[in-house]
Order: sequence, then C-alpha cells, then structure tokens
Amino acid sequence: MNHLALVPALPAATAYLWLIPLFPLLGAAVNGLAGRWLPKALVAGLACLTILLSFLLAVTAFQQVAGGAALHQTWLEWIQVGRVHAELGLTVDRLSAVMLLVVTGVGFLIHLYSVGYMEDDPGFARYFAYLNLFAAAMLVLVLADNLVALFIGWEGVGLCSYLLIGFWFTDDAKAYAGRKAFVVNRIGDFGVLIGTFVLLKATGHVDFAGMQAASRMLTPAIATTAGLLLFMGACGKSAQLPLYVWLPDAMAGPTPVSALIHAATMVTAGVYLVARMGFLYDLAPVALAVVAIVGTLTALWAALIATAQHDIKKVLAYSTVSQLGFMFIGNGVGAYDAGLGHVVTHAFFKACLFLGAGSVIHGLGGEQDMRKMGGLGKEMPHTSRTFLIATIAITGIFPLSGFFSKDEILHRALTTTRFAGIGLGWLGPAVYAIGTLTALLTSYYMWRLYQRTFNGERRNEHHAHESPAVMTGPLWILATLSIVGALLVMPRVQWLERWLHPHADLEGEIPYVPFLVALAVAWAGYYLAQYFHGAGSEARASKVAAAWPRLTLALENKLYVDEAYDLVIVRPLRFVAHTLWEFGDALLIDGMMVNGTARLTGWIAGGLRKLQNGDAQAYATVIALGTAALLFAMLR
Amino acid sequence: MSALAPWHYLTLAALLFAIGGVAVVVRRNALIILMGIELMLNAVNLTFLTFSRFPVALASDAAMQARANVGHTSVFFVIAVAAAEAAVGLAIVIAIFRSRSTVNVDELAELKN
Repeated sequence: MNHLALVPALPAATAYLWLIPLFPLLGAAVNGLAGRWLPKALVAGLACLTILLSFLLAVTAFQQVAGGAALHQTWLEWIQVGRVHAELGLTVDRLSAVMLLVVTGVGFLIHLYSVGYMEDDPGFARYFAYLNLFAAAMLVLVLADNLVALFIGWEGVGLCSYLLIGFWFTDDAKAYAGRKAFVVNRIGDFGVLIGTFVLLKATGHVDFAGMQAASRMLTPAIATTAGLLLFMGACGKSAQLPLYVWLPDAMAGPTPVSALIHAATMVTAGVYLVARMGFLYDLAPVALAVVAIVGTLTALWAALIATAQHDIKKVLAYSTVSQLGFMFIGNGVGAYDAGLGHVVTHAFFKACLFLGAGSVIHGLGGEQDMRKMGGLGKEMPHTSRTFLIATIAITGIFPLSGFFSKDEILHRALTTTRFAGIGLGWLGPAVYAIGTLTALLTSYYMWRLYQRTFNGERRNEHHAHESPAVMTGPLWILATLSIVGALLVMPRVQWLERWLHPHADLEGEIPYVPFLVALAVAWAGYYLAQYFHGAGSEARASKVAAAWPRLTLALENKLYVDEAYDLVIVRPLRFVAHTLWEFGDALLIDGMMVNGTARLTGWIAGGLRKLQNGDAQAYATVIALGTAALLFAMLR
Repeated sequence: MSALAPWHYLTLAALLFAIGGVAVVVRRNALIILMGIELMLNAVNLTFLTFSRFPVALASDAAMQARANVGHTSVFFVIAVAAAEAAVGLAIVIAIFRSRSTVNVDELAELKN
C-alpha cells in the first residue's frame, strides 16, 4: 500500500528526541529576552548553533530509524479527560525523519545566510529569536505523534509566520500582510481542529498510531468528512485555492524568511499532514479527489499569475503556490511518497531560488522589480550560477531533481486507479494534462525571470555587488542539493522510495513516454521565454501584451482574487460587523440596556422626587387628605 | 339653650378645623399659618367641650360618662400649650423676618436639596 505505516515504537535510546525542538526554543528565549544587549556575533552564533545541534540530533535519529523501528518518546502526559488522552509525544518514523532532516538542514543553511542578509538590520536579535522559535515550532509539528501536539506546532509556525512577515512592522502594508497571513491561516486551522474532533469522536484516539489501529471504525462518510476538514487546514497552511492569497503577500517579510517558511518548511506542513494521515485518505477516495482537484487547479492558477508578475519575489511566491499544488496532486492521487519527494526537492531548489533572489535584492540595495534588473550575471557570478542550477531544477530539465520529482507525480496521476471506484476515472488523465500544461508555464515563467534578471542589458544604474561568502555558501550547498536530490527520486535509484518502503519491490517500468513529454514541455517553456524575453526581444513580449491588454492587466493584477475576496467576503463581513456594532452594541447594549437603565431609574426617581420636595405644607396636605380618606373609609 | 344640639357644635368645630387646615396648607405667610393652627386648636377645644357637655347623648358606657369632665381638663392643657406655641411661633417668625425680610415659607428653603 502507499500509505506510510507507523511501526510500533521501541523504548530504545530515544530520550534525546525532546532536545531537537528544545535547542532552537532556548535560542529563541535567549535571543528574544536578552538579544538586544548581546553582541551580534553572539546572537548569530547562538541562533545557528542551536539549529545545527538540532540537525545533528536529527541525523542521529535518522540513523537510528534506518537501523530499525520508529523512535518514540513521551515528553509528558498532557491531557487525560475521560476518553480523551493526549500526550506531548514525539515520534520519528521514516516519514518524519525525512522532514526532520529537511527542516533542520535547510533551516540551518538559511540561518547562516541570514547572518549576512540581516547584517545591518536594527532588529537583528529579534529576527533570530523569531527564526529559532519558528524552527522549534516546525520541529514540534514534524515530531508530534498525535494531532493535538501537532496542532501546537501548527499554530506555532502560524504565529512565527505572522511575526516574520510583519517583521518590518513600521511599514503598514507589511504589518497588514502579516495579519492577512494569520487570519487566512486561522480559517484553515479551524478545519484542523474540527477534523481532530471528528476523528477523536469516531476512533477515540488523537495519536496517529491509535487512529490508524482503529481506522476500521471509520465509515467512508466520517473518513471523507475528517479528510476534507484536515485538508481545509492544509489549504490554509500550504496556500492552496481558495486560501492561497496570504502567501504572495507574505513576501513582505525578509527574503530568507520567504525561503525558509514560505518555500521550504512551513508551507509543506499541509502536504506533510495529508501524507501523515494517508491511512485516512485511503479510506476516503472522494476526499482524495478533492485534494487532487484543488492541487491541480492551484498549480495552474498560480502558474498563470506568475507569468505576468514583475516583482522577482512575487514570481517565486506564485511559483511556490503552484509547486505546492503539484505536491497535493501527488497526495491526491494517493502517491504520498511522490508528494513528499517533491517536498524535499522543492525545499532545495526553491530555497536556493529565494536566497538567490535575496542575494540579488541585497546586491541592488533593495530593488525587487525585474524591469529594473538585467545583466546581473557578470556582477554576481555565484548568485547567477546557483540560480541557474535551481532554475534548471524547477523547470524540470533532465537530469536535475525537479525533473524526476515532478514527473513522478504526473506519471502517478496518469496511471492512478484510485478514482475509478467513484466514477471519476477521467480525473487522473485530466490532472496529468493540466499538470503538464502547468509544467510548461512553470518553465516559461522561471526562464523569463532568469532572462530578465541575469541576462541582457542593465535597465537601471544601480551598482550591483556580489554577496558575502556567508550568503553564497548556503547558495552553493542548496544548488548542489538541487542536483544531487535527483538521486532521491530518480527511477531505479529512488533513495526516498527505498527509505520509506524498505521492503518494497521497485523494479517497475521506466515511464519513457511521460518523461519525453515532460522534457519537451520544459524545453518548450525555455524557448518560449527565450523568444519573448531573450536579449533584444522585449518588443515581442510587449506586442503580445498589447494584443491582449485586458488579459495582461488581469494577470498583472493577480486575476483580481484579492479584490473578489474583498467584495464577496470582507465587505459583507464588515457590513455585518458594522451593523451589529451599530444596532447591537451602540443601540441595544449601550443605548437601551446600559444608558437605558440609568435613564429609566432617573426618570422614575424624577417622578418620585416631586413627592419628597421638602415642602412641609405639601406633606401636610397629603397627610390631611390621607387621614380624611382613611376616616371616610372607616366610618362610612 | 337646648335648641342647640351637639351636631351644631360639632359642625362648627369641623368647619373651623377645615378652615384652619386649609389656611395651614395653602397660605404661604407664616403668620397666617400660625393663625390657621390656632383655629384648628380651638376647633379641637370646641369638640372636647361638646363631648364634655353632652356626654349621655354620645356615650353609652357608664364609666365613660363618669369621666366626661376630663374634656374640660384637656381644653385647659390645649389652651396653655397653644399660648406657648403662639409665643414661640411668633418669636420665630419675627426673628426670621428680621434676618430675611420675609415671612413667605416658600422662600425659606435653605435646607432643601
């Protein structure tokens, strides 16, 4: 079967597992509380050292897992109420070991890079505190052995994302982008919570092993409901339609953050969750179909928008959304390992791309508009070469990692039999067709970006300079990984597949036809980009843009999705909130209940006060009349 | 003499009491109010004397008849108290008039509120 089995844990020497998230947490505490009084070298050293230690422990854990069963450690008993039993349990199995290495490894490289990138920022210590805190939260998410503990990390990365996107919070737009990410993520988190409750109700467990063991209690309806709810959370965290809108805005944060959080780690949490819950999705083909459809549409949609963006980071942001769509296609056709493969290779090349873009921005003194770049290849040799390698990888040109991981997903989509049972047999080929089209667009927009940034003539007078070694070093490591990563997913080699399923038989056919199609598509994208954006061919691009002015405008404006959301969701909500405020708060509560009570009391008192006016004659009158009335009544 | 029945006296007393009461309640001049009080007190005196003079007609109980002269005694007390009250009341009114140049009770409202 395709799902990743959770082997019962042995009480091996696993007492160190809790240290993996603890080191970055300590780093965050020290840098967050005392960082501003510490010298920069110490802050940076501490931040990098903690994540490096986590990486070394992760390697140890990886080796232990390779030697046998999954590792498990119960950090502490946490919730024990009636049937509900949740503990802060950490587990490393074959799936989380891979994620662990990616998070700590890529995370360490990005910490290192940030030392150079954030050198002159006044919030240096704050930045590294957030970055460490993020690493700790992400590690909790990956290590958690149950949905409740996972949710801690899930929320933690959301919080850190908010903090880091709005890192330069004095700029209103950036603070707003942070808020938007947080709010949109909350919508998805709600789904995760409800999904957890549904699973708890149905199986009586929140831990993955327990749920899997009790999965026979899951009827298809419940499995579908829970699967869709969890996928809703994945949509938020991993930026899928319709909740992807926060990710492009998240580029407001420092560029290394975009690389770490919004390309390599946090956004893959949704993919990880679906892969982790694979046993659930295997029971719910309808939920899987939804995952596949959403992934496909997101991949296409974001790739379309990416073709017309001018901000270098925006192109990469939409590219990330699109690539996440590919990962969900992998998950959606039940090929969780293919999805995970793309997570890993994407982490390498997209981190490299983002860091390369950061290097360009750094070298140009903050310029992000590609229309003002060009010809940077001469001035920034390291950046441009690593960027080229990563671009080849993402566009899917043989034999780099992206070619194999992306094609594995598309091939599995084409041959899937998952949807035949629910009358959607056409879905697999349809996904394959759209995915291939998306691959063409991917190749096009990435080569366009490369051409406009590094080739051709300079379009402004900035003096560009190559970044320091502390920044180019991680770039080269990531570029190397983008190449070597191919071994993880290359047919017949397939290190990742062998790792996840040590006993599986992998001697399958090599799918030559899809491979050739993918290769042709990648080269087509390259030539298309050359044709329109190569040296001296800007006129052709503007001619096309002039031929379809409305389409160009719509794509440049991100297909007006933000505007549509504003119109359909934000404004009605604001209207309802405003109405509730006016009628509920201002009128009913303040006006009638609070002030109304006071006014009523005052009014009654005002009436009664007339009786007690200190006029003895009036009292005498009342007494006399009262006495007369009493006498009359008694003597009558 | 016997042409005058008790109800003649009582009616007169009631009228005097009512006139005095109305004067106390309605008038704003402190002097007139004091005069009203005098009228009311005297109406009471007249009532006392009426019941003292015609005990048989009104009281059926023998013991009550024996103590009918108590009415006369009470009247003396009332006259004495009324004299004292008039002396003190007029003194107060004069003192007020000297300090405020008014005896209008509505204007003497310093303790109000």
